[in-house]
Amino acid sequence: MSFRWSRAAAIAQKEMYHVLRDRFTLTLALGLPVFMVFTFGFAIEFNVKNVPLAVHDADKTQTSRRVIDTFGSSGYFLVDPVVSPAAAQQAIDGDRSRAALVIPGGFQKDLLSGGVAKAQLLLDGSDNSTVGPILGYVASIEAIASRRIADFDPPKPIEIHTRFLFNPELNSRWFVIPGLAVAVLAILAVLLTALTVAREWENGSMELLLSTPAEPLEIIVGKLAPYAVLGLVGLAFVYVISRTVFALPFRGSHVLFVLGGILFLATYLALGLLISVLTRRQQIAMQLAMMAGMIPAFLLSGFIFPIASMPAFFRYLTMVLPARWFMTIARDSYLKGSTLVEMGTAFLALGVLCVIIIAIAARKFKKDLEP
Amino acid sequence: MKDSAVEVQNLSVRFGDFTAVDSISFAVRRGEVFGFLGANGAGKTTTIRVLCGLLRPSAGYGSVAGVALDAGEMAIKARVGYMSQKFTLYDDLTVEENLSFIAGLRKLDPAVYAKRRDSILAFITFQRPLNALIRDLPGGIKQQVALAASILHDPEVVFLDEPTAGVTPAARSRFWALIRDLARQGKTIFVTTHYMDEAEQCDRIALMRAGQIVALDTPARLKAEVFPEQLFELEAVSPVHYGDMDGLRDHPDVAFFEPYGMRFHVALRKTVGGENLRRELASRFRVQAISPTLEDVFIRTVEGERR
Repeated sequence: MSFRWSRAAAIAQKEMYHVLRDRFTLTLALGLPVFMVFTFGFAIEFNVKNVPLAVHDADKTQTSRRVIDTFGSSGYFLVDPVVSPAAAQQAIDGDRSRAALVIPGGFQKDLLSGGVAKAQLLLDGSDNSTVGPILGYVASIEAIASRRIADFDPPKPIEIHTRFLFNPELNSRWFVIPGLAVAVLAILAVLLTALTVAREWENGSMELLLSTPAEPLEIIVGKLAPYAVLGLVGLAFVYVISRTVFALPFRGSHVLFVLGGILFLATYLALGLLISVLTRRQQIAMQLAMMAGMIPAFLLSGFIFPIASMPAFFRYLTMVLPARWFMTIARDSYLKGSTLVEMGTAFLALGVLCVIIIAIAARKFKKDLEP
Repeated sequence: MKDSAVEVQNLSVRFGDFTAVDSISFAVRRGEVFGFLGANGAGKTTTIRVLCGLLRPSAGYGSVAGVALDAGEMAIKARVGYMSQKFTLYDDLTVEENLSFIAGLRKLDPAVYAKRRDSILAFITFQRPLNALIRDLPGGIKQQVALAASILHDPEVVFLDEPTAGVTPAARSRFWALIRDLARQGKTIFVTTHYMDEAEQCDRIALMRAGQIVALDTPARLKAEVFPEQLFELEAVSPVHYGDMDGLRDHPDVAFFEPYGMRFHVALRKTVGGENLRRELASRFRVQAISPTLEDVFIRTVEGERR
């Protein structure tokens, strides 16, 4: 077998003409990264702010008003006074409020008589993504309110100062956008590759390629090269928008980030190739590409749902998914500034998966093309 | 054989239990236009794919352009041109892009390519811009450009698998003029077709049925071999029912009977009974002695054996 770059280049050039004349591919490749970064950057907010809070104040004293003021001035809650505890409940039922604060009569009296003033907080447990942050806010507000009412700092036997590393404001954009690098590459690489190779089978042009002295490896390299370039352009788009529009930090090494990207891209191009060899039909290839490429990249990579809180089975399953490892590399490169040694496991795992998937795809493709 | 462009001995191709090509043997001379005729699934395309190095035979020996089939596909692919029935050119690419793509796969030197391209396009009298998209070309022109693409690397043997399927009769006849010209230039043309008029233009034709070659000769000799009897065309003077004619099919003096619309082709044996039958038929039909067409030959050899 003799690999000729000139033949691979001829195929790559032909493929480039296809891409340039096919609006769908071009729009998907260039538009998707931009669309996704802006959508996830602007529209999806995991930080909870301006939570509608129904408040019923049966006490109507200086103390109760001070508590309510503290909630209102925190910036996290929008106070909405209601007439009764039942109305507070209704506000949650009717989705007008996420939480309700009910201050019973005798609130101030209990406090002044040396006891503990008790109020009730109702939370909408049906949306558990907001409950956690709200509880966190309430704890701080409670402490601040106590201080303001008592007018002094109570001595504390233990004091824990919390500091969030890498993302001090727990800005969800910082968390999500690096993950988009993974999602964008996953979609572009698997889908476009699966479609383009399946198309050659479907319209019979694979036969034309094979009637010339072109080798299977030349066909693979030539066909995939333009999509590798498109993938890298997509990655660059994500990077530039994240740094300029959303002002994300990038603390790690660009070389490692790109290296991880290339490994991931190569793995997914091979996966796309494998899918197209198995299906040979564009439509089935597309569906399989969605299932095998995109769903794991979105759901099981830790992109949105943390791997640490998955059931054991899924936690182990994610280990064989290239997306999980590149997700680690992308996030750690952006936020932590990790070194190669610190990301050693991720690189090793990604490298091994890359070699395995390429080997399987190349073998299957070659076997299929042999006379 | 030194002057054989293609030579095949006892070639078989099996897919699992199915025998697509069943021990066929033939030889094609250099500069010959050799036709393959047969129904769909008779094994024509499979044979061509073997001879182009796209498929390995299950058994048998073959050589193409002086290269043995077992000497490696790449050597064969370099010496033959192939135009498949399913796909010819990329629709979303221009003429130039398609041709230069093929040239790239064939590793033609750019200067050699430009010269070959110009001379071949002149040969097919292509008068449109080189940057015209293939999808904008009429079917006949597209077919001719596909032919140009398959001979770009100046192959010794050109395999054309139903090259004129779906183009107009005028474009077909133009295409066949090109094929004859190529043969005159010394190229060996190996072509499959469904059209009998195209088969008539071949130097020799092989009739295939169920993976076997059932007849192989020049069109004229095939007709003489297959029809030793005189063939008559019957034209009904008054409307006839096909049912009334069925008796003729099994008549002891009828060697061949086939309806062609409202006409019938009947071959009568040279017997007393045959002569009597002819006279009897003449009372009901306009009877005319004709020479058989390739279609008659095809029906009698390929389909007739099934009866």
